Amino acid sequence: MAEHNESHGHDHGHDAGHGDAHHVNYKRIYLTLLGLLVVSVAGPFFGILWLTLLTAFGIALVKANLVIQNFMHLKWEKRIMKWVLATSLVLMFLMFAGVSSDVMNHEGRNWENVAAQAAVERGIGGAEGEAEAIEVEPVEAGFSAQNTYNLVCATCHGRAGDGTGPAGAALDPQPANFTDPAFWAERDMERIVTVIRDGGAAVGRSPLMVGWSASFTPEQIQQLADHVATFRPSGE
Amino acid sequence: MAFAKPLATLRSSTGIPTGRLAIWWVLASEVVIFGGLLGSYLMFRLGHPEWADAAAVTNVWIGAFNTFVLLTSSFTAVLGHQAAERGDGKQAAKFLFMTIGGAATFIMVKSYEWTTEILHGYTITANGFWAFYYTAAGLHAMHVIAGAVIMGFIAVDAWRGRELQRVELIGIYWHFVDVVWIFLFPLLYIAK
Amino acid sequence: MADTAISVHHDEHHAHEHHGPQGILKYVWSTDHKMIAMQYLFTGMFMAVIGAFMAYVFRMQLAFPGISVPGYGQVSPGEYNALVTNHGSIMIFWVAMPVLIAAFGNYLIPLMIGADDMVFPRINRLSYQIFLLSVLILLASFFVPGGGFGGAWTAYPPLSAVGEYNQTNLGSSLWLLAVALEFVAFLLGGINFITTLMNSRAPGMKAYDIPLVCWFIVIASILFMLSVGPLIAGAVMLFFDQALGTGFYDPARGGDPILWQHLFWFFGHPEVYVVLFPAIGITIDVIATFARKKVFGYKLMLYTTVATGVLSFFVWAHHQFIAGIDPRMANIFTITTLLISVPIAELCFVIIATLYGGSIRFTTPMLWALAFMAEFLIGGVTGIFLGASGADIYFHDTYFVLAHFHYTFFPIAIIGTFAAFTYWFPKMFGRMMNDTLGKIHFWGTVIPFNFIFIPLFVLGIGGQHRRIYNYQHFPELAGEGMYTLREIATVSLLVMLAFQFVFFYNCITSWRKGKKAGKNPWNANTLEWTTESPPPHGNWPEGLPNVYRGPYEYGHPDRDEDYWPQNQPA
Repeated sequence: MAEHNESHGHDHGHDAGHGDAHHVNYKRIYLTLLGLLVVSVAGPFFGILWLTLLTAFGIALVKANLVIQNFMHLKWEKRIMKWVLATSLVLMFLMFAGVSSDVMNHEGRNWENVAAQAAVERGIGGAEGEAEAIEVEPVEAGFSAQNTYNLVCATCHGRAGDGTGPAGAALDPQPANFTDPAFWAERDMERIVTVIRDGGAAVGRSPLMVGWSASFTPEQIQQLADHVATFRPSGE
Repeated sequence: MAFAKPLATLRSSTGIPTGRLAIWWVLASEVVIFGGLLGSYLMFRLGHPEWADAAAVTNVWIGAFNTFVLLTSSFTAVLGHQAAERGDGKQAAKFLFMTIGGAATFIMVKSYEWTTEILHGYTITANGFWAFYYTAAGLHAMHVIAGAVIMGFIAVDAWRGRELQRVELIGIYWHFVDVVWIFLFPLLYIAK
Repeated sequence: MADTAISVHHDEHHAHEHHGPQGILKYVWSTDHKMIAMQYLFTGMFMAVIGAFMAYVFRMQLAFPGISVPGYGQVSPGEYNALVTNHGSIMIFWVAMPVLIAAFGNYLIPLMIGADDMVFPRINRLSYQIFLLSVLILLASFFVPGGGFGGAWTAYPPLSAVGEYNQTNLGSSLWLLAVALEFVAFLLGGINFITTLMNSRAPGMKAYDIPLVCWFIVIASILFMLSVGPLIAGAVMLFFDQALGTGFYDPARGGDPILWQHLFWFFGHPEVYVVLFPAIGITIDVIATFARKKVFGYKLMLYTTVATGVLSFFVWAHHQFIAGIDPRMANIFTITTLLISVPIAELCFVIIATLYGGSIRFTTPMLWALAFMAEFLIGGVTGIFLGASGADIYFHDTYFVLAHFHYTFFPIAIIGTFAAFTYWFPKMFGRMMNDTLGKIHFWGTVIPFNFIFIPLFVLGIGGQHRRIYNYQHFPELAGEGMYTLREIATVSLLVMLAFQFVFFYNCITSWRKGKKAGKNPWNANTLEWTTESPPPHGNWPEGLPNVYRGPYEYGHPDRDEDYWPQNQPA
């Protein structure tokens, strides 16, 4: 093992393109970088937008170039690696060009990003105080039987529980209609819970109604059953 | 476990030493990772002028101080490379330890900064700007930490006079981490 | 590649007497590229069995809805989604890539360039271990509450971002983590391959003396490396959406789901070329050996492939034609997509030109290589329909797409693998495979393959859309004719799977009792055939070879023999 390590002493001799490195004054570059940093921080204080952008990003480009060429020694590196790095940079511009028309814009031919337009108009309040989260229906904020029903069950059973959900149209038999008194005539809550949990096949009915025991806890299933019961026509 | 470098590692058909060649390819892949993230941020930021209100909160002085810390650490890293080229392993190691110190400072300042912001309610889920802020700066910080750890191993080796060529390699990686921050700084702190 | 100066380091010819780890622990600690290649190969083949089993289960469900699938049971809708999602993910990320790139790349590149190992053996080992971790995490995702991720391998938000939608909260995060780790493993591996090929060639091996399979694997690695970055960023954002509730892809919270689509496909399209190029490289090398003929246009093929790789970055949004992207972008992407068929067609012609006038031996590897060309051609041609955005309005999300990409992926991942495996088996294991069994396996795989997917083309044209677990719910797709087609496809799959036992039997008996292979059973030119079968640790213990000519000097007029190994002095 020792002989392989020793051989690395020879490696420095093979650093062919490295002779010029010692003529770079690293200290001068460093101080230049610091100076540029000061300028870029000072930029916004003039309050002129284009000046701020110029100092912020223009200087960033200059600083990055200084670091890359002089500290990383890309100046003296073989051309192939400059091409490789340039390619990766060009690909980023390509990606930006291809994607921005969809993500940066909020409208185009025949489409509008309504949510984003609303967000822009609404603005983000509270620059002077606590940040406020945008009011949205929380997705993970605890279990809501109504939300879950609307998400999971209504596609077949309908928002109004009448069995007319869009996915149910093609089914045979049709999904159960919870607003039909005849439905409730022969069923009790225990049966509702069983069917939600184990599926229609568990009570000898259609397997098109699948069981949800893998997706919800018993408490959640009970809440779902209670929600189904709210569709029951009054007077029964 | 006895490990001997294969002869393959010592060859150089391109004239670029193998380790350095590899590091450039690592950087190429990192450019597209950070480029993808920052490009996405840019698209959102340009499309959502109202994010300026959220972004106004970031503290440009802390950001500038951290920029100063990273620039300085890049300086010490390249001085370490210079020492390694002379064959002075101990000096190179000293410079690398200084660089690691810079990394630690950066992380500590960032922790303080983030703690303050989070306690004021600016969490990652607060809005789109803050989501990108924490993700981008967080990914960068992870690269800082990983780089510092690897640099520690290389510094220890260098102190013992071994594998001095790796000082340059970790330096190149470190400069890249610095360059990413050079762009993050104006994006998140100045031209908000 | 500016390599006019090939610096020859000292002690090239020292005997490399170091031995690798011994005993059972060598499977954990070995850094030998051949061991790592075997690990990738066997892991990939194991995952192929799992992916194939998933296909078996969901195809049974599709042809015979509601059936209790033997060996599995009844398939619920959620399980169906998880099966198709993981079938796709596994086949691409855990079969095609590890076998074609990691396994054969690891095995062949050092051998074919005359090196004793990869340049970074320990990072090589690390990359396999990270890959193995990704395998375990993916497999674990099937056993957590909710089961495996069911949001399609493309993982579009909001389905993939919101646990309540995909019903596989834990599974989706584990899937994402597994994919991310797999990316890291291949980034690490790719750096090894690229650096090794660029730097560690044998003295005398100039850039155009490198076998094309090595070039193509390395070009694929570069393509992967440059395209996966934005998706890694996107995956981090998706993970945060899943786990932390951020809104990167949620319009209500200021995000945009189309961003994910773009980030995914910016990688996703180059990715298909990442797996294609190694398969083409394998095909070329096999064909050159068994046509006993120089490759027609080495430089042409090389530059065409590079051009295809570059072009592959400009076509990604053809996956999103009807997703609501800007229609002006659709125009541009149609043009670029149709353009990219040109270099690939040209590759086909070059390969045919190589065959023309050759002295063709129909060995099993040759059959696989020829089948690759024939079947991939069908896949490529059907891609042209999909690349035209107008036609794609109808075809998108139908089984036409599915049949198209199986006619491309199957040749790449399965036919290409078998070509490579049957060709290099003698080198890897020191014994010859039984050629008769090989041919039975070949016909028993390729013929049923066509009977699986041609019906699916027809079904797609007939309007059958994808990712539906039971077409009985759609009366216009539930007709008897359509079900007949589905049954043909499923039964053909069963036949094809049955013939794979022939392959496994052949492997095992050949490995144990096959005829000893010797160094160069195929009389091939490239460097791997100049050492023992299997090669010892260090590949050429008596000294690494020098190279004197290109890799395809077959049928040279001045010579008695019809081949001329690269390492023989003139």
